Amino acid sequence: MKKILSILLVAALAMSTLAGCSGKKEEAPAPAPEQSEAPAEAPAEAEAPAETEAPAVGATITVAAIETAYGSKMWEDVCAAFTEETGINVELITDKNLEDVIGPSMQAGDYPDVIHLATGREKALTETFIKDQNIVDITDVLSMTVPGESAKVGDKIAGGFTETSLTNPYGDGKTYLAPMFYSPCGLFYNAGLMEEKGWTVPTTWDEMWELGDKAKAEGISLFTYPTTGYFDAFFYALMYSVGGAEFFDKATNYEEGIWDSEEAKTCFDIVAKLASYTEPTTPAQANDQDFTKNQQLVLDNKALFMPNGTWIVGEMAEAPRADGFKWGMTALPAVEAGGDGYSYTWFEQAWIPGGAEHQDEAKQFIAFLYSDKACELFAGAVNADGEPAPAIQPVLGIADTLEGDNQMFYAIYDNGAKAAMGNFAAYDSGVVGVSNREVWFDPVNSLVSGNMTEEQWIDGIKAVNDQMRENLIQ
Amino acid sequence: MERTKKSSAERLYKIFIYVALITLAISILVPVAWVFMASIKENSEFYGNPWALPAGFYIQNFADAWGKARMGEYMMNSVLVTVLALLILLVVALPAAYVLSRFEFKGRKFLNAAFMGGLFINVNYIVVPIFLMLVDGDKFLRGIIGDGFLLNNIFVLALVYASTALPFTIYLLSGYFATLAHDYEEAAYIDGAGYGKTMVRIIFPMAQPSIITVILFNFLSFWNEYIIAMTLLSDPKGGKTLPVGLMQLTQAQQSAAQYGQLYAGLVLVMLPTLILYICVQKKLTQGMTLGGLKG
Amino acid sequence: MKKRSGRSRFVFLCAAPAVILFTIFMIIPTINVFRMSLFRRSAYSTTEEFVKLDNFTRLMSDGNFIRSIQNTILLIVVVTIITFAFALVFAAILTREEIKGQNFFRIIFYIPNILSVVVISAIFSAIYDTNNGTLNSLLSLFSGKTVAVLWKGENMVMTSLIIAMIWQAIGYYMVMYMASMASIPQSLYESAGLDGAGRITQFFQITLPLIWTNIRTTLTFFIISTINMAFLFVKAMTSGGPNGASEVALSYMYKQAYTNSSYGYGMAIGALVFLFSFGLSALVNVVTKREPLEF
Repeated sequence: MKKILSILLVAALAMSTLAGCSGKKEEAPAPAPEQSEAPAEAPAEAEAPAETEAPAVGATITVAAIETAYGSKMWEDVCAAFTEETGINVELITDKNLEDVIGPSMQAGDYPDVIHLATGREKALTETFIKDQNIVDITDVLSMTVPGESAKVGDKIAGGFTETSLTNPYGDGKTYLAPMFYSPCGLFYNAGLMEEKGWTVPTTWDEMWELGDKAKAEGISLFTYPTTGYFDAFFYALMYSVGGAEFFDKATNYEEGIWDSEEAKTCFDIVAKLASYTEPTTPAQANDQDFTKNQQLVLDNKALFMPNGTWIVGEMAEAPRADGFKWGMTALPAVEAGGDGYSYTWFEQAWIPGGAEHQDEAKQFIAFLYSDKACELFAGAVNADGEPAPAIQPVLGIADTLEGDNQMFYAIYDNGAKAAMGNFAAYDSGVVGVSNREVWFDPVNSLVSGNMTEEQWIDGIKAVNDQMRENLIQ
Repeated sequence: MERTKKSSAERLYKIFIYVALITLAISILVPVAWVFMASIKENSEFYGNPWALPAGFYIQNFADAWGKARMGEYMMNSVLVTVLALLILLVVALPAAYVLSRFEFKGRKFLNAAFMGGLFINVNYIVVPIFLMLVDGDKFLRGIIGDGFLLNNIFVLALVYASTALPFTIYLLSGYFATLAHDYEEAAYIDGAGYGKTMVRIIFPMAQPSIITVILFNFLSFWNEYIIAMTLLSDPKGGKTLPVGLMQLTQAQQSAAQYGQLYAGLVLVMLPTLILYICVQKKLTQGMTLGGLKG
Repeated sequence: MKKRSGRSRFVFLCAAPAVILFTIFMIIPTINVFRMSLFRRSAYSTTEEFVKLDNFTRLMSDGNFIRSIQNTILLIVVVTIITFAFALVFAAILTREEIKGQNFFRIIFYIPNILSVVVISAIFSAIYDTNNGTLNSLLSLFSGKTVAVLWKGENMVMTSLIIAMIWQAIGYYMVMYMASMASIPQSLYESAGLDGAGRITQFFQITLPLIWTNIRTTLTFFIISTINMAFLFVKAMTSGGPNGASEVALSYMYKQAYTNSSYGYGMAIGALVFLFSFGLSALVNVVTKREPLEF
């Protein structure tokens, strides 16, 4: 009997072992702490002087870039062009899950010289480096001359891009992250359907609700969203349109009592009301596996608006759509008639980790990213399927060179919408166990499904606001 | 009268059983078949009804998955890691299980209890500390010989697989060894064979059925594993295993989704286990209660 | 004398490699989970701060953590009960009754167990689709009106996980219980039948008591396995959403450690999960204790 027991035990275990090891997608155990020889005090020691213009021929830098809708080919081209211009060799790493690829070796003390990533990704690698103050100060790059040109970097970058909390996370006037590939975010819709029904794109939220009721009568929901992650751009623009830059700054710095203010109440009310107009299947599909089904709702005329970015066109290129479908994009409506509509400007960042070995060459590389040559190569990007997917550098005058849907998207600021930039201020590791997305945006799923009230949502935000303010990185 | 009533109830009961069994069987077979079906669909077909039959036999998915998505390369890595891990596991676990079950020595009780306790440690609880340890090891090596080799090393991955499979394997093998009569060894010793020779020549061949069971169970677990693989093989130019590569195909926000390649990849992961299973299903299911059939 | 020293050397050589690997890759990492839970640190920097039991006190007031534990317990209880009940009944039917294609059913039922969770999640995502999914289509067919259950919505997501997990586990246990039930002598049933005991009585009076030891052992390990499987399924199918509604203990641990970079906090969860699973296993072991029956 004892024997039987042990064998069965083993069999049971086989189950758990098998189970334990079966594969499963997503979410790399991103790396862990401790190891890096990376100077934690890195930002302070921005040694490199600005005049490192003599090409350090023969050196090799490592560039790690996230592969997104733009594909990876453009990076190869730009790196080749850089080597040709400066004689500095580039070892390029691109991957869709860049964090999983470079994370572990960084833990082991092996850092790329330049990292190109976006904030707001689930693994929050950039945020972690900001939090740890482990990024090299690149303010001096702005006064460097673009390799191969006579213009200075700072003069080429479009206004405002190097003054946001995304590029200057500590609010000390120093730039740590270089702005890359901007893209206006807004509400995307089927322009063909609006035309057909004779509806006009709402310019105020009141018009929005009116339209929502009209659409409901026809069996169309007013709103959907891919995942709650898309609410960050939405919420930022909303905060701007409700209370302007002043309110935005206070709110993103977690000022005491800010969420009790009139402005905050207006923001919450709008989102809560929007939730009641949201297509009911949305939350069930608002995850990393099914989010395209929510985007499909707009293509199928089941929902009118969704917050998104210009990449949506390429992302859904192969998806079937309603007859006469035509992409349209609008800024967030104004709170009251005559008010400003805002469109959030989403952009990615390139930065030098504190542990990078070739910081001077890395700075040259960043400067080169704003050269006419690089901008042209980025704008000519094609994705993995060979479809054009232009990546637009935030340099002056670039919108004029675009065509097609993109011309319309990037013209949004010419049509009266104001640009909203910035994000929540960085806090350090004293904030334990919570993140902005969890507290501010994920509950929207519960608002839509009715599992949470607006009050509960606001209470959750207030509960963590103080913790974040107390741990702000100064 | 009584008889017919009983037999009609009996028939109803039988029908009910068949319906239940067949429903369960369908609920298993249909979804699996669906993945195979989806793997030959063109990308645009994925936006419609997922249960629609494929329009054609779009074999290009497999070519793309094999080449473009590097699944071919990942498959070789998976094969290599699995084979290496099985080898290490057998070489280490067989002798240990043998002495732990058949030799009296000081500390034996303690060791048996320790390995038994190991059965309760799930590898997902400890993958991070394992990774950290290797990182520290690499840092140490870098200080001494200028280069670390513990991370991004298929051999180390295989070693970790083998080590974390030890408690289960030793338990299974010990259970079998303990059932053998001591006469076999006595006879071998009398013939002048040493301990090692007796173990390798006499005992191991007798344990063949349990060894096969060990191989089968661990093959499945190593082949499907991906959390450790993803953590320890991080170099983009280096290898990944098949499940890790597959996982990367599934996350493609903000870029055009490659459904065809994804399902072709799923088939590539499934196929070896399914083929193996069909070949050895008898052994596998027997192995579960090996020796447990009253004896 | 010579033989004696040769003997201990042999034992040492055989046991040492296994003990070393086991210690390095399982014991030490386990200890580290507990050690790290007392510190606060971020993922990429070198700073580490000893915070005593801060992480644990914070957990006690973390609503999301409490919900993740509740979800874990829900899964353990419901999945265990349903899986075991169905597996036992089906196994009894398949061993006791003359069923055509018995072997066929056994082969099919085992298949989910050899599939990777990546594959299973892809399958269930298609089944649970609100508009095109099989489940809603079937329900619509039977009810005669359009059913649009949000299987991955906040109210149903745990049910959806439960179904997928049972689907994965049920066949394995069925096959295992079939093997152990097959060892019960036919004569016991025959004499019970002569005494007028029906199928149900026989099941409770003969089958269950005689394989009780088996059930008890598998139950203990099933709990540990469920904690881990729940994590794999949640990560692959729902990412813990919507709004944390399907978060389980281990997935919450990963989220804290990697997404929020609250590393020590994550390990504190890991430590609690360790203690919880050990405690629960011990509890089950005590509660299910019966006098073993021999046949």
